[in-house]
Amino acid sequence: MSIFEYNGSAVVAMVGKNCFAIASDRRLGVQLQTIATDFQRISKIHDHLFIGLSGLATDVQTLYQRLVFRHKLYQLREERDMKPETFASLVSAILYEKRFGPYLCQPVIAGLGDDNKPFICTMDSIGAKELAKDFVVSGTASESLYGACEAMFKPDMEAEELFETISQALLSSVDRDCLSGWGGHVYVVTPDEIKEKILKGRMD
Amino acid sequence: MKLDTSGFETSMPVIGFGSNSEMLDGVSSVPSFDLPRTTDFDGFQKKSVEMVKPAKGTTTLAFIFKEGVMVAADSRASMGGYISSQSVKKIIEINPYMLGTMAGGAADCQFWHRNLGIKCRLHELANKRRISVSGASKLLANMLYSYRGMGLSVGTMIAGWDETGPGLYYVDNEGGRLKGDRFSVGSGSPYAYGVLDSGYKFDMSIEEASELARRSIYHATFRDGASGGVASVYHVGPQGWTKLSGDDVGELHYHYYPVAPATAEHVMEEAA
Repeated sequence: MSIFEYNGSAVVAMVGKNCFAIASDRRLGVQLQTIATDFQRISKIHDHLFIGLSGLATDVQTLYQRLVFRHKLYQLREERDMKPETFASLVSAILYEKRFGPYLCQPVIAGLGDDNKPFICTMDSIGAKELAKDFVVSGTASESLYGACEAMFKPDMEAEELFETISQALLSSVDRDCLSGWGGHVYVVTPDEIKEKILKGRMD
Repeated sequence: MKLDTSGFETSMPVIGFGSNSEMLDGVSSVPSFDLPRTTDFDGFQKKSVEMVKPAKGTTTLAFIFKEGVMVAADSRASMGGYISSQSVKKIIEINPYMLGTMAGGAADCQFWHRNLGIKCRLHELANKRRISVSGASKLLANMLYSYRGMGLSVGTMIAGWDETGPGLYYVDNEGGRLKGDRFSVGSGSPYAYGVLDSGYKFDMSIEEASELARRSIYHATFRDGASGGVASVYHVGPQGWTKLSGDDVGELHYHYYPVAPATAEHVMEEAA
């Protein structure tokens, strides 16, 4: 098993009508053994920007702390929140700085930009940005997630329907992966509010 | 049964194995094995075994108690990280009074258990009496020993009831055969042993024993990534085996640990 599969993870983000949803599994494992079932993979940068990190858990935590630090500095200097596109470029630059000793994680960035237009993107572990209009996935269950999202996604879904779709896609994909699952964590973000939900999934 | 001694005969003289080739002069007086030509002999052996050995990703267990033998297993098949099936039958019915469990390569276990069933039936026809559990496990162990080192992956338990009472044997692809009261095999076995060993008593009723078996499998599926699906529990008694239950472990979790409804921080009161 490769180092990306050491801890196990699954992250997915989807675009809706003036809203987005980002979801992850909750397992932290050491190869096949499950250590925790409440691991935080998705973190808030500001009210309209979330980042989900899959891959090696220690790098997930360190990279998140570094990004929060950089964003706070930006807020102090610019006296405003970062736009999602700018943040994506920041993450890409930070990852490429470590080109020859990379952070072993794949981020998924989701945010609401100007005019509340949803923005999602994913990157590989050295910062190659991949923008998408519909959904992005990463983690050990990524192949199953691609299949599930492709089948279930419809454009311009409202928040309620988007929540159902992303939850079903996440749960059905992690049920085909030994290394991720044990519950789900979903954030649905509209211009006015953030809804956070925990999913009841198979615990095997 | 003739032991396979072909490993002791070499067709070519031993070269560079700590003794002078001139002295041996093409005739090996000491029994020796063909050795691979490599600088790191120990590492090479280990690497080749690891290469062909698929991990036994599963949890199976069996134990003897007052009322017979309880056998339980999960139902997940995994290929590396991918779950290829959640509904594999890992408890194989060799004949109406003997069960075998499957851990390791699915094809290997299915084939050799069927082969064992054939041999047991032939024994019955030749000797006009059923084969004992000890005899059946010995047949399997000897078959597997002759294929030792060829990459078979079988970690099985043979459980049955014969004239001497309940019998339980562990047999694996290395040719090992152990008689015992409690076994668990597979990647989830440490977790199952934890629950099984702490809850085990010889004087249990069938319901208590089946609940212990079910709980052990459930806990193994929770902690082990390579175990999951359905926890099947079988009982072998004097009349043969019966399947007691097959519970989905996803549902078992919420049965054992129901989700407590979250307490609301602010409750809206009806205006009087």
